[in-house]
Amino acid sequence: MEIFSIKNAKKSFENNLEVLQDISISVSKGEVAAIIGPSGSGKSTLLRCATLLETMDSGELIYSGEKAAWNNEEGKTVYASPEKLRQIKSKFGLVFQNFNLFPHYSVLKNITDAPISIQKRKKEEVMQEAQVLLEKMGLSDKAYAYPFQLSGGQQQRVSIARALAMNPDILFFDEPTSALDPELTGEILRVIRSLAAEHMTMVIVTHEIEFARNVADRIIFIAGGVIVEEGNAESLISDPQNDRTKAFLNRLQR
Amino acid sequence: MKKNSFVLITLLLTAVVLSSFTSVFADGKTTLVVGFDQDFPPYGFVGEDGEFTGYDLEMAAAAAEIMGLEVVYQPIAWDSKDMELDSGTIDCIWNGFTINGREDKYEWTEAYKDAGQVILVKADSDIETLEDLAGKVVAVQTDSSALEALESEDYKDLVAEFKDLLVVAQYNTAFMDLEAGAVDAIAMDLDVANFQIQDKEDQYRILDEMLQAEQYGVGFKLGNTELRDKVQSALEELVKSGKFAEISEKWFEYDSCVMSICKDEA
Amino acid sequence: MSISVMLSKLGEGMITSVLIFTLTLLFSLPLGLIVALARMSKNIILRNFTRIYISIMRGTPLMLQLLVVYFGPYYLFGISISSGYRFWAVILAFSINYAAYFAEIYRGGIESMPLGQYEAARVLGYSESQTFMKIILPQVIKRIIPAITNEVITLIKDTSLAFSIAVTEMFTVAKAIASSEKTMVSYVAAGIFYYVFNFVVAVVMESIEKKLDYYR
Repeated sequence: MEIFSIKNAKKSFENNLEVLQDISISVSKGEVAAIIGPSGSGKSTLLRCATLLETMDSGELIYSGEKAAWNNEEGKTVYASPEKLRQIKSKFGLVFQNFNLFPHYSVLKNITDAPISIQKRKKEEVMQEAQVLLEKMGLSDKAYAYPFQLSGGQQQRVSIARALAMNPDILFFDEPTSALDPELTGEILRVIRSLAAEHMTMVIVTHEIEFARNVADRIIFIAGGVIVEEGNAESLISDPQNDRTKAFLNRLQR
Repeated sequence: MKKNSFVLITLLLTAVVLSSFTSVFADGKTTLVVGFDQDFPPYGFVGEDGEFTGYDLEMAAAAAEIMGLEVVYQPIAWDSKDMELDSGTIDCIWNGFTINGREDKYEWTEAYKDAGQVILVKADSDIETLEDLAGKVVAVQTDSSALEALESEDYKDLVAEFKDLLVVAQYNTAFMDLEAGAVDAIAMDLDVANFQIQDKEDQYRILDEMLQAEQYGVGFKLGNTELRDKVQSALEELVKSGKFAEISEKWFEYDSCVMSICKDEA
Repeated sequence: MSISVMLSKLGEGMITSVLIFTLTLLFSLPLGLIVALARMSKNIILRNFTRIYISIMRGTPLMLQLLVVYFGPYYLFGISISSGYRFWAVILAFSINYAAYFAEIYRGGIESMPLGQYEAARVLGYSESQTFMKIILPQVIKRIIPAITNEVITLIKDTSLAFSIAVTEMFTVAKAIASSEKTMVSYVAAGIFYYVFNFVVAVVMESIEKKLDYYR
């Protein structure tokens, strides 16, 4: 079943730089897709368009069959009503490169505030779920700590828990390990793997090839605003077909 | 939700301000609001009991009683006296208010008291005449009659000889300066000077040569002759009843009245 | 004049000073936030209007603003004013003046917030006003407390300007007593009062700062 798809996405910035040139991606349930590519390739913009932080100039955006955006007759993107978009927002979660935890909220409140005050779910139920999530993240003892008291890896795990608490259908990750010390990427990798084992649908933007190979079913290589190559994680990395993919991988491995 | 409370507070603020505007119109003519400088003894100042008192204020209260009005003492910032009078927040200025030089700026009652501007120095000072002030520092209160006198043509040459003419906000600080030796003399009103050196005659003295002789009256907004006339006749009644003499003897130990009615009686 | 009379007179002036201080803060702190939001508004008219307002409030002396607010209705519109308006004119003039300073402090605080906080809230589905009230404002307050404290302490000392429209606050009373009693005692008392007032405010502000110290 298709959980998320973006079709023919185009986006230029004011300086006429075309960051996305007709990109289409579709992700089905339980799949883990990694988007890799050099910096400036458009992978972050793509993720921001997918999570409604940025608007596309042209293209469609669909979550579990519900249209968040579509093209009008002139081929320009039209977005759904704010009310509809609010509904759709609870279908996905986003984990930021810099965590973006709310520093004035405790770990528990970071996780539970949105489900309680935005999704209007029962407080007891949300609290219980949050405890389970914290346990899963290995942070049971940190429920009442504040973000500044945690290590980077712990903060990133809290932000994953915060996204999961909304019960999304799909989870996006924007460079989840690049703000962390290399030795801390392992704990994030473990968390993402355990989520994959539970058939969580995930899209991970990363420039760490090993990380992508370790967690992803499928790798999408983007450069210059287009998809250059995509395929099975293992085969794309060990046997790239496109010259640009080869060059990118070579540069990383050197 | 919180935005609403901001709106509420703003509305409240507006309401409060508006209501204070409307209280303006409710202010019927049952009071005589006397504007005065509360740092100006013995005409108007804070008395022993902490209430406003003074020669002029007592006279104003007696006059208001005759007129059937309730007297309200309104201390004002002296610099703003014209704005206060024009805008109607005070009815008159009754506060050792010099007529000379201001004849056309206010509606005046008849002059009720003689006064003058004098020079006050330390008792042991070598200053004896106005000429001796050359090379000295002289302090004077801002916007006062003494300053006006010094700035007039008559004293242009004398002031040019001063080491400095120091314009201070109030006499009180001038006295501190005099005591400290920072100024050599203070140009000020005769009665104020007399009051200030009471019991301190060994410390200060007043030069015999006066800067200016002048007269005091009650000042009203130009055009407000109606109230002026009422106060004038109230003053005359006070003279007739002997109350005027009583009040002036209390403050100056002589009957200070110089109105024509007093001269007629004498 | 006995000491007790002097103190009770000074006490009356003190109540006026404290009232001016409290009411000014009560009105200007929320008003400043509204002005700050208008200053950052997308509406160009609103934005420029508040920009001019702030520039006038900060660019002219508070004493002049007091005179304009009090005498303005008469001189500009011919509305006669009464003495009852004096006190409220002080509160109004102080409030709109301090709101301008507070607005710029709020604006600095709001603009210093990292974009990531807005984006995280947006992805979680917070509305714009929820984001502002729950996520942004609490953090802004923590950031701007030291700057606010500065203004608040200046306000205490500025209350003595109220006499320019004949509201007899603490310092004016002290001056009047000093001139009628030929004594410096009232000035000393006034000095002690201002110092203690400032001290109390500083302690209160410090304790608020400490209270917000639970996070960084």
